[in-house]
Amino acid sequence: MKAGKKLGVGLIAAALVFGVIGCGNNNETKNTAPSGEASKSPEKTPSKTEKVKITYSMWGTAEEGKVVQETADKFNASQDKIEVEVQAIPYENYMTKLNTMATASQLPDAGMMREDGVVQWSSEGMLTDVSAMYEGSDSKPLDSLAYTYQGKPVAYAATNEILLMYYNKDMFDKAGVPYPPSALDKAWTWDEFVAAAKKLTNDKNGKHPGEDGFDSQSIVQYGASVENLTWQLEAWTLTNGGGFYNDDGTDVRIGEDASVEAIQKVADLYLKDHVAPLSVGQTDDGIQRTIIAGTVAMATNGQWNVGTSLNKAKEEGLKYGVAVLPYMKDKVTLNTGGANVVFSQSKHPQEAMEWLKWYTQEENNWGLISSGIWMPVLDKWYKDETLTHKWVDNPNFPPYDEYKSAVVDYAQSSAARPASWFFTNHTTEFNTLLASVLGDVWTGKTTAKDAISKNLEALKAANKGDK
Amino acid sequence: MSEVAFGRLKSKKRSNRTTNIITLVVVVFFACLVLFPIWWIFRTSLMTNAEIYKFPPSLIPENWLFSNYEKTLKVFKFWKYLCNTMVIIVPSCLAGTFTATLCGYAFARLRFRGKQLIWALCIGSMLLPTMVTLIPLYIGWTRGLGIHDSYLPLILPYFCGGGAFNIFLIRQFIMSIPRELDQAATIDGAGYLRILFSIIIPAIKPAMIVVALFIFIGLWNDLLQQMIYINTSDKYTIALGLTNFRGQLKSDWSLTMAATCLSFAPGVIFYLVGQKYFVEGITMTGIKS
Amino acid sequence: METFNKPRQRRSRIYSSEARVAYICLIPAFLGLIFLTYLPLLGVLGISMTNWTGLTKPEFIGLHNYIKIFTTDPYIKESIIATIYFAILSVVGSMIYSLFIAILLNRKIPARGFFRAVFYVPFVLPAAAIYVGWSWLYEANFGFFNYLLSEIGLNKVLFIADSRYVVPSLSLISVWLAGNLIVIFLAGLQNVPVVYHEAAEMDGANGWKRFRHITLPSISPIIFYNLLMSLIANLQVVTPALSLTNGGPGNSSRFMTYLMYDQAFVNYKLGYACATTFIIFAILAGFTAVLFKTSNRWIFSEGGDDK
Repeated sequence: MKAGKKLGVGLIAAALVFGVIGCGNNNETKNTAPSGEASKSPEKTPSKTEKVKITYSMWGTAEEGKVVQETADKFNASQDKIEVEVQAIPYENYMTKLNTMATASQLPDAGMMREDGVVQWSSEGMLTDVSAMYEGSDSKPLDSLAYTYQGKPVAYAATNEILLMYYNKDMFDKAGVPYPPSALDKAWTWDEFVAAAKKLTNDKNGKHPGEDGFDSQSIVQYGASVENLTWQLEAWTLTNGGGFYNDDGTDVRIGEDASVEAIQKVADLYLKDHVAPLSVGQTDDGIQRTIIAGTVAMATNGQWNVGTSLNKAKEEGLKYGVAVLPYMKDKVTLNTGGANVVFSQSKHPQEAMEWLKWYTQEENNWGLISSGIWMPVLDKWYKDETLTHKWVDNPNFPPYDEYKSAVVDYAQSSAARPASWFFTNHTTEFNTLLASVLGDVWTGKTTAKDAISKNLEALKAANKGDK
Repeated sequence: MSEVAFGRLKSKKRSNRTTNIITLVVVVFFACLVLFPIWWIFRTSLMTNAEIYKFPPSLIPENWLFSNYEKTLKVFKFWKYLCNTMVIIVPSCLAGTFTATLCGYAFARLRFRGKQLIWALCIGSMLLPTMVTLIPLYIGWTRGLGIHDSYLPLILPYFCGGGAFNIFLIRQFIMSIPRELDQAATIDGAGYLRILFSIIIPAIKPAMIVVALFIFIGLWNDLLQQMIYINTSDKYTIALGLTNFRGQLKSDWSLTMAATCLSFAPGVIFYLVGQKYFVEGITMTGIKS
Repeated sequence: METFNKPRQRRSRIYSSEARVAYICLIPAFLGLIFLTYLPLLGVLGISMTNWTGLTKPEFIGLHNYIKIFTTDPYIKESIIATIYFAILSVVGSMIYSLFIAILLNRKIPARGFFRAVFYVPFVLPAAAIYVGWSWLYEANFGFFNYLLSEIGLNKVLFIADSRYVVPSLSLISVWLAGNLIVIFLAGLQNVPVVYHEAAEMDGANGWKRFRHITLPSISPIIFYNLLMSLIANLQVVTPALSLTNGGPGNSSRFMTYLMYDQAFVNYKLGYACATTFIIFAILAGFTAVLFKTSNRWIFSEGGDDK
C-alpha cells in the first residue's frame, strides 16, 4: 500500500482545490455574517388583528420550559398584541447554541444570557438598548443589577445572587466554636476565620492543625472551604484592597500585591493551614461536596444553593446556617445574576421589551424565588418589610432573622459589589486564562505571585480582547 | 491411533482446559475492573444526592432508592425520547451501512481513475473533528436550505457514505477476504455488483453489523449536534432528554444516573442481537476452507 | 498480480465498466465529501482569515490569526503537548488492552457472550455520566480511590486535580472506553482462517508462534484500522476536558479540540478558532501520513491492493 504517498498527493490536490475555489470564499463568508440590515430595521407596526410572534429562549430543562411557557400563556392571554413562545435550551450548552444561532441570524427575539456574555454581545452590537424599559415604573431593579456598556444600561439581571458563607451547626456545636456572624458589622476577619477553621478540622485521631502529631493526610473533617471558581475569587481580591480590574473594567489590577496576596491566602487554606480540602476550581458543586456531604464545617458560595440543594438536605436532617463572608481589609461580597436581553437581530424589539418587563415581575418567577434559587430584582422586595416577609418567611429558608441579616440586608449593604462582568468586556477570556494560570497554585507547585506575574501581559491582553 | 498420539491428544486436551481456566480467571478479573465504574454509576442512581457525596464512600446504597427510577421516568419520557431517537437512527443505520459498503467495495476492489485522490480526500475528512464544520453546516442547513427544528440535518449525512471511518472499516474487511473468490466469480461472468451482493456482502456481514452498531451508538450519544438542530422539547431525543436533570446551578445526579442506566439498555440490546452475527459461529462458506 | 497478465484489450474494457460501477458506488461518498466536508471546510478556511466573532461582520485579516497562534497564544504549546501525550498513552494503552481482551474473548470460555457484552458496555454510556462517575472515583480529598489509598496507609494522589496526573488519569478512562476496538478485533479475528491454525498446530507451533505468525498477519489490516481510528479519535479528544476538567489544572488537559471549542463557542473568536483547526488538521495529517507510510511494512493484505 502506498497510501502515504497517496495521502500526500491528496493533500496537495486538496490544497489546489482550495486555491481554485478560493475566490468563492468571499461569498461564503459574506453569507455567514449575520445580515444586519435586513434584521435590524424594525418592521411596521403590525395590524391589530394579528399578534406579533416573539420567541424567548431560556436555559433549563424541557420541564422548566413548560412552566415558563405557562407563565407566558398568561401574558399572551392578558393582551392582544404579543404572542410569546418559549424555547428551553439545556443549560450547559446554552451559550454554544446561542452563538451558533447568532452566526446564522437565527436568534430568538429575547432571551436569558449568561453573565459573562452580556457586555461582549453588547459591544458587538448584538443587544438592543433597554435603558427605556423601566421609564415611568414605580419600582426599579436594584442599581447593582444593570449591565452597562460604556455607561449605558444594556440589560437587567433576571435575578439577584450574592456570595455568602454556609456552616454546619452540628459541627460547630460539637467543637464548641461560636457560629460565624450573620450581621455585617460583626463579620469575622480572615484570621478569626482561619482560627475557627483550625478548631473545626480533625484528623483521624481527632487532632487539629498546628497540634503535635497532626496528620494532614488523614483529615476526616475540614474546617473551611473557600470556593475558588475564578469569578468568585474576585470577592477575595476586592476584600484585600485589590481587584481583578479598575473601576470601569478597562485595566487589570490582578497583578497588584493586594490581589496576589488574597489569592495566595485562599490557596494557603489547603497548602499551609490544612483547614480546607483541595479544590482546583473545576466544578460548581461546591456546597454539595462540602456542607451537604458533611465533610466541611464552613463553605463559601452563592445564596442560590439554599434552593438548589440545601433545602432538600435540610429535610434530610442537615442543620445549616448562613453567615456573611469573612474579610481581609474591606467587607465585600459579590452580587450577580444572569441577564434577560433583547437581541438586536429581533424584528420586534418593542414587543420583546414589553414581554421582559412583564416577565421579570417577581410574581412570575415565584417558584424560583420562593425555593431560594433566585432573589428578587426589584428594590421594593428588599425595602418593604411586608414583601420581604412574604419572600423569606417560608420553610425553604433558614430562620427569618438569620437570612434577613446574612442575605437580604447583606445584598443591599455597601459590601455588595457587582461582579465585574456587569461592566467589563471580555471577562470570559480573562477568567479562562486566569483559571489556567492559577491551576498549579492550588496544588502548591507554584505561588500566586510567580504564576500571575509571569502571565500578567497575557492577562492584560485578554482584558483588551484582541480578536 | 497409536498410544503415543492418543496420549498427546489427551495431554493437549488437558492443557487446553488449564489455559481455558486461566483465560476465564483473567477475563473475570478484567471484567470486574471494567464493571466497577459502571457499578459506581448504578449505585449512584439508587442514592440520595447527599449520600453520593458522603465520606467514606459506600459501595452499596443505604436504602436502594428504586423510587429514583419512578421520579426519573416522570421527567425523562423514555418511550417518547426512544421513539424520536429511533426516527433518526433507523434510516441512518440502514442508509449509512449500505452506502458505506458500496463505497468500501469500490475502494477495496475496483480500479478507476482518481481513486488515489478520492481516497485521500476520504482519509482527510476523518481528520476533522465534527465541531469544526458545525457552524458552516448549521448556516447551510438553516439559512441555505431553510431547515429548522428538524431531524434531517442529523439523518441525511448518513446517506452520504456513513462517514469515512465506516467506509474505511468496510474497505479493510473486504481487503482481508481472499481475492481468488471474486476472481473465480468474474471468470464465471458475474458483474461487479453481483460479486458485491453475492460474495462480498455475505462475507463482510460482521463488519456491516459493526458499522451499523457504531452509527447507532454515535447517534445515540451525539448531544452536541442534536442540541444545535433540535429546538422544541417534543422532538427531544434520549441524549437531549438526559440533560433534563442538569439545570442552572443544579444537577440532580442520582436521577441523571438513573436515566443513564435506563438509556444505555437499547445500545446493549442492539449489541447482544448483533453479536450473534459478528462473533458467534460464523461459518461462512468459501472463506474459511 | 494476475490481472496484469491478461490481454491488454480485454483489460481496458473491463476497466471502463469497472470504473463505471465504482463511480456509481461512490456517488454517496462524493456528495458527503463535497457538501459535508470540503465545502464547509472552505468556509472554515475563509473564516480563519478573518477576525469574525460570530456576532458582527467579519473583517479580512489575512494570515494574522496564524501568526498569532505561533507568537502570542498563551495556550497552544502546552495544548499540543497535552494532546499528543494523551493520544500516545491512550492509543498504546487501548490497543494493547483491546487486542488482549479480544483474543481472550475469542477463546471458548463459559458465558462468553456475557463477557463480550461487559467489555463493550462502557462504550455505550453517554459521556456526561461516565465522566461524572469517574470524577467521584478520582476526587482529590474524599474520592473512592483516595479512600482506598488512605485505608492502606498511602498518601493521597490528586489525580485529575494535579497537573502531573491528569492526563494519565484521563487516558485510563479512554482505555476503559475502548469497547469499540474490542468489537472490531473480535469481528476481525473471525476472519483468521482456522485451517492455518490447525495446520500450524500439527507442525507443533506453540501458542505464541501461532499468534505471531498467523493471527497477527491475518488481522493486520484490522490492527491498522484500529490503530488509525484510535489515533485520530484520541488526537481529537475533547469530551473529558469539556465535561470534567475544563482544560485544567493549568493547561495540563487543554486538548487542542477543546481549545478550539473554547475559542469558537465560549470566547467568540471564531476566526481564530478556525485557524486553530488547521493546526489540528496539520498535526493529525502528519501522524496519519507516518502511519500510512509505515503501514506497508507490516500489513499483510490477503485481498491485495492494486491501485
